[in-house]
Amino acid sequence: MIRDSNIFPAELIKVTKVFSRSGNETVALSNVSFRVSQGELVLLLGPSGSGKTTLLTLLAGFQEPSQGEAYIFGKRVQDYSPSALQKIRACQMGFIFQTFCLLDSLRVLDNVTLVMKFAGIPEKTARRHAGECLERFGIGHLSNEYPGKLSQGEKQRVAVARAIANGSSMILADEPTGSLATEQGMAIIEYLHESVRKDGIGVVIASHDDRISKFADRVHHLRDGILI
Amino acid sequence: MYALKILAKQYLRFTITIFGVALCLMLMLFLLAIYYGVSDASVRYVRESDADIWVMQRHAANLLRGTSLLTSSHGSVISQVPGVKSIAPVLFFTATVNVPDNTASMHLVGYDPRTGKGGPPEIVKGDTLRNDDQIILDYAFAAKYRIKIGDKLPIRDDTLTVAGLSEGTNLFVIQFAFITLDEARKLLGFPSVLSCYQVKIEPGSDPLSVAKNIRSVSPDFAVYDRLTFLNNNIHEAETGVMPLLYVVALIGAIVLTALLSLILSVYVLEQQKDYAIMKALGAPAGFIPRIVVQQSLILAAGGMVIAILLFDLMLNAVKRFSPTISAESSVRQILIVAAGLLVISLLSSILPLLRQRHIYPLEVFR
Repeated sequence: MIRDSNIFPAELIKVTKVFSRSGNETVALSNVSFRVSQGELVLLLGPSGSGKTTLLTLLAGFQEPSQGEAYIFGKRVQDYSPSALQKIRACQMGFIFQTFCLLDSLRVLDNVTLVMKFAGIPEKTARRHAGECLERFGIGHLSNEYPGKLSQGEKQRVAVARAIANGSSMILADEPTGSLATEQGMAIIEYLHESVRKDGIGVVIASHDDRISKFADRVHHLRDGILI
Repeated sequence: MYALKILAKQYLRFTITIFGVALCLMLMLFLLAIYYGVSDASVRYVRESDADIWVMQRHAANLLRGTSLLTSSHGSVISQVPGVKSIAPVLFFTATVNVPDNTASMHLVGYDPRTGKGGPPEIVKGDTLRNDDQIILDYAFAAKYRIKIGDKLPIRDDTLTVAGLSEGTNLFVIQFAFITLDEARKLLGFPSVLSCYQVKIEPGSDPLSVAKNIRSVSPDFAVYDRLTFLNNNIHEAETGVMPLLYVVALIGAIVLTALLSLILSVYVLEQQKDYAIMKALGAPAGFIPRIVVQQSLILAAGGMVIAILLFDLMLNAVKRFSPTISAESSVRQILIVAAGLLVISLLSSILPLLRQRHIYPLEVFR
Protein backbone atom coordinates (compact mmCIF):
# COMPACT_ATOMS: atom_id res chain seq x y z
CA MET A 1 0.00 0.00 0.00
CA ILE A 2 1.39 3.40 -0.97
CA ARG A 3 1.13 5.95 1.85
CA ASP A 4 3.89 8.30 0.74
CA SER A 5 2.56 11.80 1.26
CA ASN A 6 4.85 13.16 -1.46
CA ILE A 7 3.13 11.06 -4.12
CA PHE A 8 -0.35 12.03 -5.20
CA PRO A 9 -2.65 9.04 -5.71
CA ALA A 10 -3.80 10.68 -8.94
CA GLU A 11 -2.90 13.81 -10.82
CA LEU A 12 -3.91 15.36 -14.13
CA ILE A 13 -1.71 18.01 -15.73
CA LYS A 14 -3.23 20.16 -18.48
CA VAL A 15 -5.39 17.29 -19.64
CA THR A 16 -7.72 17.52 -22.59
CA LYS A 17 -10.03 14.67 -23.48
CA VAL A 18 -11.70 14.58 -26.86
CA PHE A 19 -14.19 11.94 -27.98
CA SER A 20 -14.70 11.25 -31.67
CA ARG A 21 -17.90 9.70 -32.92
CA SER A 22 -18.92 9.49 -36.57
CA GLY A 23 -16.42 12.16 -37.47
CA ASN A 24 -17.72 14.58 -34.83
CA GLU A 25 -15.39 15.57 -32.05
CA THR A 26 -16.62 16.38 -28.57
CA VAL A 27 -14.33 18.00 -26.03
CA ALA A 28 -15.18 16.43 -22.67
CA LEU A 29 -12.34 18.05 -20.73
CA SER A 30 -10.24 21.01 -21.71
CA ASN A 31 -6.82 21.80 -20.24
CA VAL A 32 -7.69 20.45 -16.80
CA SER A 33 -5.12 20.20 -14.04
CA PHE A 34 -6.26 18.39 -10.95
CA ARG A 35 -4.83 16.29 -8.19
CA VAL A 36 -5.95 14.47 -5.13
CA SER A 37 -3.85 13.97 -2.00
CA GLN A 38 -4.22 11.36 0.68
CA GLY A 39 -6.34 12.43 3.62
CA GLU A 40 -8.43 14.95 1.74
CA LEU A 41 -11.93 14.94 0.33
CA VAL A 42 -12.23 16.76 -2.96
CA LEU A 43 -15.60 17.61 -4.46
CA LEU A 44 -16.08 18.01 -8.19
CA LEU A 45 -19.26 19.98 -8.68
CA GLY A 46 -20.96 20.36 -12.00
CA PRO A 47 -24.14 19.70 -13.94
CA SER A 48 -24.72 16.62 -16.09
CA GLY A 49 -22.42 16.52 -19.10
CA SER A 50 -19.85 18.84 -17.56
CA GLY A 51 -17.11 16.17 -17.68
CA LYS A 52 -17.11 14.97 -14.05
CA THR A 53 -17.31 11.28 -14.87
CA THR A 54 -14.69 11.62 -17.60
CA LEU A 55 -12.36 13.21 -15.08
CA LEU A 56 -12.94 10.33 -12.63
CA THR A 57 -12.26 7.72 -15.28
CA LEU A 58 -9.02 9.49 -16.18
CA LEU A 59 -8.00 9.51 -12.51
CA ALA A 60 -8.62 5.74 -12.39
CA GLY A 61 -6.71 5.12 -15.60
CA PHE A 62 -9.71 3.74 -17.48
CA GLN A 63 -8.91 6.18 -20.27
CA GLU A 64 -5.85 8.04 -21.46
CA PRO A 65 -5.85 11.78 -22.05
CA SER A 66 -5.94 13.11 -25.61
CA GLN A 67 -3.48 15.77 -24.53
CA GLY A 68 -1.61 16.44 -21.29
CA GLU A 69 -0.44 13.97 -18.69
CA ALA A 70 -2.28 11.74 -16.25
CA TYR A 71 -0.37 10.26 -13.32
CA ILE A 72 -1.40 7.51 -10.98
CA PHE A 73 0.79 7.14 -7.90
CA GLY A 74 3.48 9.20 -9.57
CA LYS A 75 3.66 7.23 -12.81
CA ARG A 76 2.25 8.14 -16.20
CA VAL A 77 -0.89 6.16 -17.02
CA GLN A 78 0.56 5.20 -20.41
CA ASP A 79 3.56 3.64 -18.67
CA TYR A 80 1.42 1.10 -16.82
CA SER A 81 0.64 -2.23 -18.41
CA PRO A 82 -3.06 -3.21 -18.40
CA SER A 83 -2.40 -5.81 -15.70
CA ALA A 84 -0.48 -3.29 -13.57
CA LEU A 85 -3.39 -0.86 -13.81
CA GLN A 86 -5.78 -3.66 -12.86
CA LYS A 87 -3.64 -4.43 -9.82
CA ILE A 88 -3.52 -0.74 -8.83
CA ARG A 89 -7.32 -0.54 -9.03
CA ALA A 90 -7.73 -3.74 -7.06
CA CYS A 91 -5.22 -2.85 -4.34
CA GLN A 92 -5.15 0.96 -4.15
CA MET A 93 -8.48 2.27 -5.38
CA GLY A 94 -12.05 2.03 -4.21
CA PHE A 95 -15.07 2.90 -6.33
CA ILE A 96 -18.58 3.99 -5.44
CA PHE A 97 -21.02 4.21 -8.30
CA GLN A 98 -24.27 6.12 -8.56
CA THR A 99 -26.40 2.97 -8.34
CA PHE A 100 -23.82 1.30 -6.06
CA CYS A 101 -23.38 -1.54 -8.57
CA LEU A 102 -23.44 -4.37 -6.06
CA LEU A 103 -23.40 -7.86 -7.57
CA ASP A 104 -26.92 -9.18 -7.10
CA SER A 105 -25.97 -12.85 -7.35
CA LEU A 106 -23.53 -12.58 -4.44
CA ARG A 107 -24.32 -12.16 -0.76
CA VAL A 108 -23.32 -8.92 0.92
CA LEU A 109 -20.23 -10.48 2.53
CA ASP A 110 -19.15 -11.97 -0.82
CA ASN A 111 -19.57 -8.59 -2.52
CA VAL A 112 -17.06 -7.09 -0.12
CA THR A 113 -14.79 -10.14 -0.12
CA LEU A 114 -14.59 -10.18 -3.92
CA VAL A 115 -12.58 -6.94 -4.23
CA MET A 116 -10.10 -8.25 -1.68
CA LYS A 117 -9.74 -11.44 -3.68
CA PHE A 118 -9.00 -9.25 -6.70
CA ALA A 119 -6.29 -7.62 -4.57
CA GLY A 120 -4.77 -11.03 -3.89
CA ILE A 121 -5.81 -11.25 -0.24
CA PRO A 122 -6.32 -14.88 0.85
CA GLU A 123 -9.98 -15.94 1.07
CA LYS A 124 -10.01 -16.53 4.82
CA THR A 125 -8.38 -13.19 5.66
CA ALA A 126 -10.59 -11.43 3.13
CA ARG A 127 -13.78 -12.81 4.64
CA ARG A 128 -12.74 -11.88 8.15
CA HIS A 129 -11.78 -8.35 7.12
CA ALA A 130 -14.94 -7.96 5.03
CA GLY A 131 -16.98 -8.90 8.09
CA GLU A 132 -15.13 -6.25 10.14
CA CYS A 133 -15.80 -3.59 7.48
CA LEU A 134 -19.50 -4.41 7.46
CA GLU A 135 -19.58 -4.26 11.27
CA ARG A 136 -17.90 -0.87 11.14
CA PHE A 137 -20.79 0.49 9.09
CA GLY A 138 -23.39 -1.25 11.25
CA ILE A 139 -24.49 -3.80 8.68
CA GLY A 140 -22.68 -6.90 9.94
CA HIS A 141 -26.03 -8.60 10.47
CA LEU A 142 -26.74 -8.33 6.73
CA SER A 143 -23.67 -10.34 5.69
CA ASN A 144 -25.68 -13.26 4.37
CA GLU A 145 -28.37 -11.23 2.63
CA TYR A 146 -28.49 -10.66 -1.10
CA PRO A 147 -28.33 -7.00 -2.27
CA GLY A 148 -31.80 -7.29 -3.75
CA LYS A 149 -33.24 -7.50 -0.24
CA LEU A 150 -31.46 -4.40 1.09
CA SER A 151 -32.79 -0.86 1.38
CA GLN A 152 -31.05 1.93 -0.54
CA GLY A 153 -29.41 3.10 2.69
CA GLU A 154 -28.08 -0.37 3.44
CA LYS A 155 -26.77 -0.72 -0.11
CA GLN A 156 -24.85 2.53 0.16
CA ARG A 157 -23.13 1.32 3.32
CA VAL A 158 -22.19 -1.95 1.61
CA ALA A 159 -20.80 0.09 -1.29
CA VAL A 160 -18.65 2.17 1.07
CA ALA A 161 -17.51 -0.94 2.93
CA ARG A 162 -16.51 -2.48 -0.40
CA ALA A 163 -14.63 0.67 -1.43
CA ILE A 164 -12.47 0.78 1.70
CA ALA A 165 -12.14 -2.97 2.32
CA ASN A 166 -8.99 -3.48 0.22
CA GLY A 167 -7.12 -0.72 2.08
CA SER A 168 -7.52 1.81 -0.73
CA SER A 169 -5.43 4.94 -0.88
CA MET A 170 -8.02 6.67 -3.02
CA ILE A 171 -11.78 6.38 -3.42
CA LEU A 172 -13.53 7.69 -6.51
CA ALA A 173 -17.25 8.25 -6.06
CA ASP A 174 -19.48 9.03 -9.02
CA GLU A 175 -22.73 10.75 -7.97
CA PRO A 176 -22.91 8.66 -4.78
CA THR A 177 -25.97 10.55 -3.53
CA GLY A 178 -27.75 10.55 -6.87
CA SER A 179 -30.17 7.73 -6.17
CA LEU A 180 -30.72 8.47 -2.51
CA ALA A 181 -33.09 10.54 -0.41
CA THR A 182 -31.46 13.63 1.11
CA GLU A 183 -30.87 12.11 4.54
CA GLN A 184 -29.37 8.91 3.15
CA GLY A 185 -27.33 10.91 0.66
CA MET A 186 -25.67 12.90 3.41
CA ALA A 187 -25.07 9.70 5.39
CA ILE A 188 -22.86 8.22 2.68
CA ILE A 189 -20.84 11.44 2.50
CA GLU A 190 -20.38 11.24 6.26
CA TYR A 191 -19.08 7.67 5.89
CA LEU A 192 -16.60 8.83 3.26
CA HIS A 193 -15.62 11.83 5.35
CA GLU A 194 -14.98 9.49 8.27
CA SER A 195 -12.75 7.31 6.07
CA VAL A 196 -10.73 10.37 5.05
CA ARG A 197 -10.17 11.30 8.67
CA LYS A 198 -9.64 7.80 10.11
CA ASP A 199 -7.83 6.04 7.28
CA GLY A 200 -6.14 8.95 5.51
CA ILE A 201 -7.75 8.03 2.23
CA GLY A 202 -7.97 10.51 -0.62
CA VAL A 203 -11.56 10.80 -1.80
CA VAL A 204 -12.85 12.40 -4.98
CA ILE A 205 -16.60 12.87 -5.24
CA ALA A 206 -18.17 13.86 -8.53
CA SER A 207 -21.61 15.31 -7.91
CA HIS A 208 -24.07 18.00 -8.86
CA ASP A 209 -25.20 18.26 -5.22
CA ASP A 210 -23.57 21.33 -3.61
CA ARG A 211 -24.77 20.35 -0.13
CA ILE A 212 -21.76 18.07 -0.04
CA SER A 213 -19.49 21.12 -0.10
CA LYS A 214 -19.46 21.45 3.68
CA PHE A 215 -17.66 18.09 3.97
CA ALA A 216 -15.07 18.83 1.30
CA ASP A 217 -11.52 20.04 1.85
CA ARG A 218 -11.54 21.43 -1.67
CA VAL A 219 -14.35 22.11 -4.10
CA HIS A 220 -13.84 22.38 -7.84
CA HIS A 221 -16.47 23.43 -10.32
CA LEU A 222 -16.60 21.87 -13.74
CA ARG A 223 -18.55 23.41 -16.58
CA ASP A 224 -18.40 22.27 -20.20
CA GLY A 225 -15.16 20.42 -19.50
CA ILE A 226 -13.41 23.37 -17.97
CA LEU A 227 -12.31 23.33 -14.34
CA ILE A 228 -13.20 26.58 -12.65
CA MET B 1 -18.74 -20.66 -6.60
CA TYR B 2 -19.77 -17.57 -8.56
CA ALA B 3 -20.07 -19.48 -11.86
CA LEU B 4 -22.58 -21.90 -10.36
CA LYS B 5 -24.52 -19.12 -8.63
CA ILE B 6 -25.05 -17.36 -11.95
CA LEU B 7 -26.23 -20.60 -13.55
CA ALA B 8 -28.50 -21.57 -10.68
CA LYS B 9 -30.15 -18.14 -10.61
CA GLN B 10 -32.17 -19.18 -13.70
CA TYR B 11 -32.77 -22.71 -12.48
CA LEU B 12 -35.33 -23.65 -15.16
CA ARG B 13 -32.94 -22.69 -17.96
CA PHE B 14 -30.12 -24.38 -16.07
CA THR B 15 -32.13 -27.61 -15.84
CA ILE B 16 -33.22 -27.53 -19.48
CA THR B 17 -29.64 -26.89 -20.61
CA ILE B 18 -28.31 -29.77 -18.51
CA PHE B 19 -30.91 -32.08 -20.04
CA GLY B 20 -30.14 -30.78 -23.53
CA VAL B 21 -26.48 -31.56 -22.99
CA ALA B 22 -27.41 -34.94 -21.54
CA LEU B 23 -29.52 -35.85 -24.59
CA CYS B 24 -26.67 -35.00 -26.97
CA LEU B 25 -24.28 -37.05 -24.86
CA MET B 26 -26.73 -39.95 -24.73
CA LEU B 27 -26.84 -39.91 -28.52
CA MET B 28 -23.05 -40.06 -28.64
CA LEU B 29 -22.87 -42.79 -25.99
CA PHE B 30 -25.55 -44.78 -27.78
CA LEU B 31 -23.86 -44.56 -31.16
CA LEU B 32 -20.56 -45.61 -29.60
CA ALA B 33 -22.31 -48.52 -27.91
CA ILE B 34 -23.77 -49.61 -31.24
CA TYR B 35 -20.41 -49.20 -32.91
CA TYR B 36 -18.65 -51.42 -30.42
CA GLY B 37 -21.59 -53.82 -30.12
CA VAL B 38 -21.85 -54.36 -33.86
CA SER B 39 -18.09 -54.43 -34.40
CA ASP B 40 -17.79 -57.11 -31.76
CA ALA B 41 -20.79 -59.16 -32.86
CA SER B 42 -19.79 -59.00 -36.53
CA VAL B 43 -16.53 -60.78 -35.93
CA ARG B 44 -17.35 -62.90 -32.92
CA TYR B 45 -18.09 -65.91 -35.14
CA VAL B 46 -14.59 -65.68 -36.59
CA ARG B 47 -12.91 -64.73 -33.31
CA GLU B 48 -14.35 -67.67 -31.40
CA SER B 49 -13.71 -70.23 -34.11
CA ASP B 50 -10.84 -72.59 -33.28
CA ALA B 51 -9.67 -72.68 -36.91
CA ASP B 52 -5.97 -72.00 -37.43
CA ILE B 53 -6.38 -71.27 -41.13
CA TRP B 54 -9.29 -70.18 -43.30
CA VAL B 55 -9.38 -71.26 -46.93
CA MET B 56 -11.71 -69.44 -49.31
CA GLN B 57 -12.09 -68.95 -53.02
CA ARG B 58 -9.50 -66.75 -54.66
CA HIS B 59 -10.16 -63.00 -54.10
CA ALA B 60 -12.52 -63.61 -51.19
CA ALA B 61 -11.20 -61.98 -48.02
CA ASN B 62 -13.90 -62.05 -45.38
CA LEU B 63 -17.21 -63.55 -44.38
CA LEU B 64 -19.23 -60.39 -44.10
CA ARG B 65 -19.27 -59.25 -47.69
CA GLY B 66 -18.04 -61.16 -50.69
CA THR B 67 -18.74 -64.51 -52.24
CA SER B 68 -16.61 -67.61 -51.93
CA LEU B 69 -17.46 -70.86 -53.68
CA LEU B 70 -15.41 -74.03 -53.33
CA THR B 71 -16.20 -77.71 -53.89
CA SER B 72 -15.78 -80.88 -51.88
CA SER B 73 -12.87 -81.89 -54.14
CA HIS B 74 -10.94 -78.87 -52.91
CA GLY B 75 -11.22 -80.38 -49.45
CA SER B 76 -9.42 -83.50 -50.59
CA VAL B 77 -6.56 -81.39 -51.91
CA ILE B 78 -6.26 -79.35 -48.71
CA SER B 79 -6.30 -82.45 -46.52
CA GLN B 80 -3.19 -83.74 -48.34
CA VAL B 81 -1.13 -80.65 -47.49
CA PRO B 82 1.59 -81.36 -44.89
CA GLY B 83 0.76 -79.91 -41.48
CA VAL B 84 -3.02 -80.03 -41.97
CA LYS B 85 -4.69 -82.03 -39.21
CA SER B 86 -8.37 -81.64 -40.09
CA ILE B 87 -10.68 -79.53 -42.22
CA ALA B 88 -14.26 -78.40 -41.62
CA PRO B 89 -16.38 -77.32 -44.60
CA VAL B 90 -18.79 -74.45 -44.06
CA LEU B 91 -21.36 -73.02 -46.47
CA PHE B 92 -22.72 -69.46 -46.19
CA PHE B 93 -25.59 -67.94 -48.14
CA THR B 94 -28.30 -65.40 -47.59
CA ALA B 95 -31.91 -66.59 -47.59
CA THR B 96 -35.31 -65.07 -47.10
CA VAL B 97 -37.51 -66.79 -44.54
CA ASN B 98 -41.15 -66.47 -43.68
CA VAL B 99 -41.54 -65.17 -40.18
CA PRO B 100 -44.91 -64.52 -38.52
CA ASP B 101 -46.71 -61.82 -40.57
CA ASN B 102 -43.53 -60.95 -42.43
CA THR B 103 -40.45 -62.07 -44.31
CA ALA B 104 -36.88 -61.60 -43.18
CA SER B 105 -33.38 -62.20 -44.47
CA MET B 106 -30.80 -64.22 -42.63
CA HIS B 107 -27.28 -65.32 -43.26
CA LEU B 108 -27.49 -69.12 -43.26
CA VAL B 109 -24.46 -71.07 -42.13
CA GLY B 110 -24.28 -74.75 -43.04
CA TYR B 111 -21.87 -76.78 -40.91
CA ASP B 112 -21.29 -80.31 -39.75
CA PRO B 113 -23.02 -80.62 -36.35
CA ARG B 114 -21.08 -83.85 -35.60
CA THR B 115 -17.81 -81.91 -35.30
CA GLY B 116 -19.42 -78.62 -34.33
CA LYS B 117 -16.78 -76.79 -36.40
CA GLY B 118 -18.26 -73.70 -38.03
CA GLY B 119 -21.25 -73.74 -35.71
CA PRO B 120 -22.59 -70.95 -33.49
CA PRO B 121 -20.10 -69.44 -31.01
CA GLU B 122 -22.58 -69.68 -28.12
CA ILE B 123 -25.98 -71.31 -27.72
CA VAL B 124 -27.89 -69.43 -25.04
CA LYS B 125 -31.16 -71.32 -25.23
CA GLY B 126 -32.21 -74.74 -26.55
CA ASP B 127 -29.84 -77.25 -28.07
CA THR B 128 -27.42 -77.82 -30.94
CA LEU B 129 -28.56 -79.38 -34.21
CA ARG B 130 -29.55 -83.05 -34.18
CA ASN B 131 -31.25 -83.36 -37.56
CA ASP B 132 -31.30 -81.74 -40.97
CA ASP B 133 -34.75 -80.27 -40.34
CA GLN B 134 -33.55 -78.08 -37.47
CA ILE B 135 -32.23 -74.53 -37.32
CA ILE B 136 -30.47 -72.40 -34.70
CA LEU B 137 -31.51 -68.75 -34.83
CA ASP B 138 -29.78 -65.66 -33.56
CA TYR B 139 -31.28 -64.68 -30.18
CA ALA B 140 -32.00 -61.09 -31.28
CA PHE B 141 -33.61 -62.27 -34.53
CA ALA B 142 -35.88 -64.67 -32.63
CA ALA B 143 -36.80 -62.00 -30.11
CA LYS B 144 -37.59 -59.48 -32.83
CA TYR B 145 -39.96 -61.83 -34.63
CA ARG B 146 -41.20 -63.51 -31.43
CA ILE B 147 -40.01 -66.95 -32.55
CA LYS B 148 -39.67 -69.60 -29.87
CA ILE B 149 -37.83 -72.90 -29.69
CA GLY B 150 -39.92 -75.55 -31.38
CA ASP B 151 -41.54 -73.11 -33.82
CA LYS B 152 -41.61 -74.05 -37.49
CA LEU B 153 -39.84 -71.76 -39.95
CA PRO B 154 -40.51 -72.07 -43.70
CA ILE B 155 -37.32 -71.51 -45.73
CA ARG B 156 -37.54 -71.83 -49.50
CA ASP B 157 -39.08 -75.28 -50.15
CA ASP B 158 -38.45 -76.61 -46.68
CA THR B 159 -39.69 -76.08 -43.16
CA LEU B 160 -37.22 -76.16 -40.28
CA THR B 161 -37.80 -76.43 -36.56
CA VAL B 162 -36.07 -73.99 -34.23
CA ALA B 163 -33.73 -76.06 -32.05
CA GLY B 164 -31.77 -73.35 -30.29
CA LEU B 165 -30.86 -69.68 -30.01
CA SER B 166 -27.35 -68.32 -30.36
CA GLU B 167 -25.51 -65.13 -29.36
CA GLY B 168 -22.56 -63.37 -30.97
CA THR B 169 -24.27 -63.88 -34.32
CA ASN B 170 -25.93 -60.49 -34.79
CA LEU B 171 -24.36 -58.42 -37.57
CA PHE B 172 -26.80 -55.52 -37.00
CA VAL B 173 -28.05 -55.43 -40.62
CA ILE B 174 -28.45 -59.21 -40.79
CA GLN B 175 -28.17 -62.17 -38.42
CA PHE B 176 -26.57 -65.60 -38.69
CA ALA B 177 -28.70 -68.77 -38.56
CA PHE B 178 -27.24 -72.28 -38.44
CA ILE B 179 -28.34 -75.41 -40.25
CA THR B 180 -26.63 -78.66 -41.19
CA LEU B 181 -24.29 -78.60 -44.18
CA ASP B 182 -26.44 -81.16 -45.98
CA GLU B 183 -29.58 -79.09 -45.44
CA ALA B 184 -27.75 -75.97 -46.62
CA ARG B 185 -26.65 -77.68 -49.83
CA LYS B 186 -30.17 -78.98 -50.34
CA LEU B 187 -31.70 -75.52 -49.92
CA LEU B 188 -29.12 -73.99 -52.24
CA GLY B 189 -29.52 -76.75 -54.84
CA PHE B 190 -25.82 -77.54 -55.30
CA PRO B 191 -24.85 -80.77 -53.56
CA SER B 192 -21.08 -80.36 -53.38
CA VAL B 193 -20.68 -76.63 -53.01
CA LEU B 194 -19.32 -74.83 -49.92
CA SER B 195 -17.89 -71.44 -49.01
CA CYS B 196 -14.79 -72.12 -47.00
CA TYR B 197 -12.75 -74.61 -45.11
CA GLN B 198 -11.75 -74.10 -41.51
CA VAL B 199 -8.41 -75.82 -41.12
CA LYS B 200 -6.81 -77.17 -37.94
CA ILE B 201 -3.10 -77.75 -38.17
CA GLU B 202 -0.91 -80.39 -36.57
CA PRO B 203 0.43 -79.43 -33.15
CA GLY B 204 3.83 -77.74 -33.54
CA SER B 205 3.21 -76.72 -37.14
CA ASP B 206 3.63 -73.10 -38.15
CA PRO B 207 0.28 -71.72 -39.42
CA LEU B 208 2.00 -69.31 -41.80
CA SER B 209 4.02 -72.14 -43.38
CA VAL B 210 0.99 -74.41 -43.66
CA ALA B 211 -1.01 -71.54 -45.19
CA LYS B 212 1.79 -71.02 -47.70
CA ASN B 213 1.74 -74.74 -48.53
CA ILE B 214 -2.03 -74.68 -49.10
CA ARG B 215 -1.69 -71.61 -51.30
CA SER B 216 0.92 -73.42 -53.38
CA VAL B 217 -1.25 -76.44 -54.20
CA SER B 218 -3.97 -74.49 -55.99
CA PRO B 219 -4.32 -71.01 -57.45
CA ASP B 220 -8.05 -71.21 -56.62
CA PHE B 221 -7.46 -70.59 -52.94
CA ALA B 222 -7.30 -67.49 -50.79
CA VAL B 223 -5.63 -68.69 -47.59
CA TYR B 224 -5.51 -66.73 -44.35
CA ASP B 225 -4.05 -67.42 -40.97
CA ARG B 226 -6.38 -66.82 -38.03
CA LEU B 227 -5.26 -63.28 -37.16
CA THR B 228 -5.21 -62.00 -40.74
CA PHE B 229 -8.67 -63.34 -41.38
CA LEU B 230 -9.99 -61.82 -38.16
CA ASN B 231 -8.50 -58.45 -39.09
CA ASN B 232 -10.02 -58.69 -42.57
CA ASN B 233 -13.45 -59.13 -41.02
CA ILE B 234 -12.93 -56.38 -38.44
CA HIS B 235 -11.86 -54.03 -41.22
CA GLU B 236 -14.92 -54.96 -43.25
CA ALA B 237 -17.22 -54.41 -40.29
CA GLU B 238 -15.70 -51.04 -39.48
CA THR B 239 -15.80 -49.75 -43.05
CA GLY B 240 -19.40 -50.74 -43.66
CA VAL B 241 -22.20 -48.81 -42.02
CA MET B 242 -19.99 -48.00 -39.04
CA PRO B 243 -18.54 -44.71 -40.38
CA LEU B 244 -22.10 -43.44 -40.64
CA LEU B 245 -22.38 -43.76 -36.87
CA TYR B 246 -19.29 -41.63 -36.48
CA VAL B 247 -20.78 -38.98 -38.77
CA VAL B 248 -23.99 -38.90 -36.71
CA ALA B 249 -21.95 -38.73 -33.50
CA LEU B 250 -19.92 -35.89 -34.98
CA ILE B 251 -23.11 -34.02 -35.88
CA GLY B 252 -24.27 -34.56 -32.28
CA ALA B 253 -21.00 -33.10 -31.02
CA ILE B 254 -21.34 -30.06 -33.30
CA VAL B 255 -24.93 -29.49 -32.13
CA LEU B 256 -23.78 -29.77 -28.52
CA THR B 257 -20.95 -27.28 -29.11
CA ALA B 258 -23.39 -24.83 -30.69
CA LEU B 259 -25.92 -25.30 -27.89
CA LEU B 260 -23.36 -24.74 -25.14
CA SER B 261 -21.81 -21.82 -26.94
CA LEU B 262 -25.20 -20.15 -27.36
CA ILE B 263 -26.22 -20.67 -23.75
CA LEU B 264 -22.88 -19.42 -22.42
CA SER B 265 -23.10 -16.36 -24.68
CA VAL B 266 -26.55 -15.61 -23.26
CA TYR B 267 -25.14 -15.83 -19.73
CA VAL B 268 -22.32 -13.44 -20.68
CA LEU B 269 -24.82 -10.96 -22.13
CA GLU B 270 -26.99 -11.19 -19.02
CA GLN B 271 -23.99 -10.71 -16.74
CA GLN B 272 -22.58 -7.89 -18.85
CA LYS B 273 -23.14 -5.28 -16.14
CA ASP B 274 -21.73 -7.48 -13.38
CA TYR B 275 -18.66 -8.29 -15.47
CA ALA B 276 -18.17 -4.58 -16.19
CA ILE B 277 -18.37 -3.90 -12.43
CA MET B 278 -15.81 -6.62 -11.75
CA LYS B 279 -13.46 -5.22 -14.36
CA ALA B 280 -13.87 -1.73 -12.90
CA LEU B 281 -13.12 -3.05 -9.41
CA GLY B 282 -9.88 -4.60 -10.64
CA ALA B 283 -10.74 -8.19 -11.51
CA PRO B 284 -7.59 -9.95 -12.78
CA ALA B 285 -7.52 -10.65 -16.52
CA GLY B 286 -8.29 -14.35 -16.09
CA PHE B 287 -11.09 -13.97 -13.54
CA ILE B 288 -14.08 -13.59 -15.86
CA PRO B 289 -12.79 -16.04 -18.50
CA ARG B 290 -12.44 -18.54 -15.67
CA ILE B 291 -16.09 -18.02 -14.76
CA VAL B 292 -17.14 -18.68 -18.36
CA VAL B 293 -15.05 -21.85 -18.62
CA GLN B 294 -16.28 -23.02 -15.21
CA GLN B 295 -19.87 -22.52 -16.36
CA SER B 296 -19.17 -24.55 -19.47
CA LEU B 297 -17.61 -27.34 -17.41
CA ILE B 298 -20.47 -27.31 -14.89
CA LEU B 299 -23.07 -27.65 -17.65
CA ALA B 300 -21.02 -30.37 -19.32
CA ALA B 301 -20.41 -32.30 -16.10
CA GLY B 302 -24.07 -32.04 -15.07
CA GLY B 303 -25.12 -33.24 -18.51
CA MET B 304 -22.64 -36.12 -18.35
CA VAL B 305 -23.97 -37.37 -15.02
CA ILE B 306 -27.59 -37.25 -16.24
CA ALA B 307 -26.57 -38.85 -19.55
CA ILE B 308 -24.89 -41.80 -17.82
CA LEU B 309 -27.94 -42.37 -15.63
CA LEU B 310 -30.36 -42.19 -18.57
CA PHE B 311 -28.08 -44.14 -20.89
CA ASP B 312 -28.36 -47.25 -18.73
CA LEU B 313 -32.16 -47.04 -18.86
CA MET B 314 -32.03 -46.43 -22.60
CA LEU B 315 -29.81 -49.46 -23.25
CA ASN B 316 -32.20 -51.70 -21.34
CA ALA B 317 -35.15 -50.27 -23.27
CA VAL B 318 -33.39 -50.81 -26.61
CA LYS B 319 -32.50 -54.38 -25.73
CA ARG B 320 -36.12 -54.99 -24.84
CA PHE B 321 -37.91 -53.24 -27.69
CA SER B 322 -35.34 -53.55 -30.49
CA PRO B 323 -33.29 -56.65 -29.75
CA THR B 324 -31.53 -56.78 -33.14
CA ILE B 325 -29.57 -53.67 -32.20
CA SER B 326 -26.30 -54.84 -30.70
CA ALA B 327 -25.14 -52.28 -28.17
CA GLU B 328 -22.20 -52.73 -25.82
CA SER B 329 -21.34 -50.14 -23.22
CA SER B 330 -18.13 -49.91 -21.24
CA VAL B 331 -16.25 -47.54 -18.96
CA ARG B 332 -13.83 -46.93 -21.83
CA GLN B 333 -16.65 -45.59 -24.03
CA ILE B 334 -17.81 -43.28 -21.24
CA LEU B 335 -14.25 -42.02 -20.83
CA ILE B 336 -14.00 -41.41 -24.59
CA VAL B 337 -17.23 -39.37 -24.54
CA ALA B 338 -16.08 -37.52 -21.39
CA ALA B 339 -12.80 -36.62 -23.10
CA GLY B 340 -14.74 -35.44 -26.16
CA LEU B 341 -17.03 -33.46 -23.90
CA LEU B 342 -14.08 -31.71 -22.31
CA VAL B 343 -12.92 -30.60 -25.76
CA ILE B 344 -16.48 -29.52 -26.64
CA SER B 345 -16.72 -27.51 -23.40
CA LEU B 346 -13.53 -25.66 -24.15
CA LEU B 347 -14.49 -25.05 -27.78
CA SER B 348 -17.93 -23.78 -26.82
CA SER B 349 -16.32 -21.30 -24.42
CA ILE B 350 -14.46 -19.53 -27.21
CA LEU B 351 -17.35 -17.39 -28.48
CA PRO B 352 -18.52 -16.22 -25.02
CA LEU B 353 -14.90 -15.59 -24.07
CA LEU B 354 -14.49 -13.33 -27.09
CA ARG B 355 -17.78 -11.64 -26.18
CA GLN B 356 -16.69 -10.87 -22.63
CA ARG B 357 -13.51 -9.25 -23.94
CA HIS B 358 -15.72 -6.50 -25.33
CA ILE B 359 -17.20 -5.66 -21.96
CA TYR B 360 -15.52 -2.51 -20.71
CA PRO B 361 -15.33 -1.19 -17.15
CA LEU B 362 -16.40 2.23 -18.43
CA GLU B 363 -19.90 0.80 -18.96
CA VAL B 364 -20.39 1.07 -15.19
CA PHE B 365 -20.02 4.84 -15.33
CA ARG B 366 -22.78 5.31 -17.90
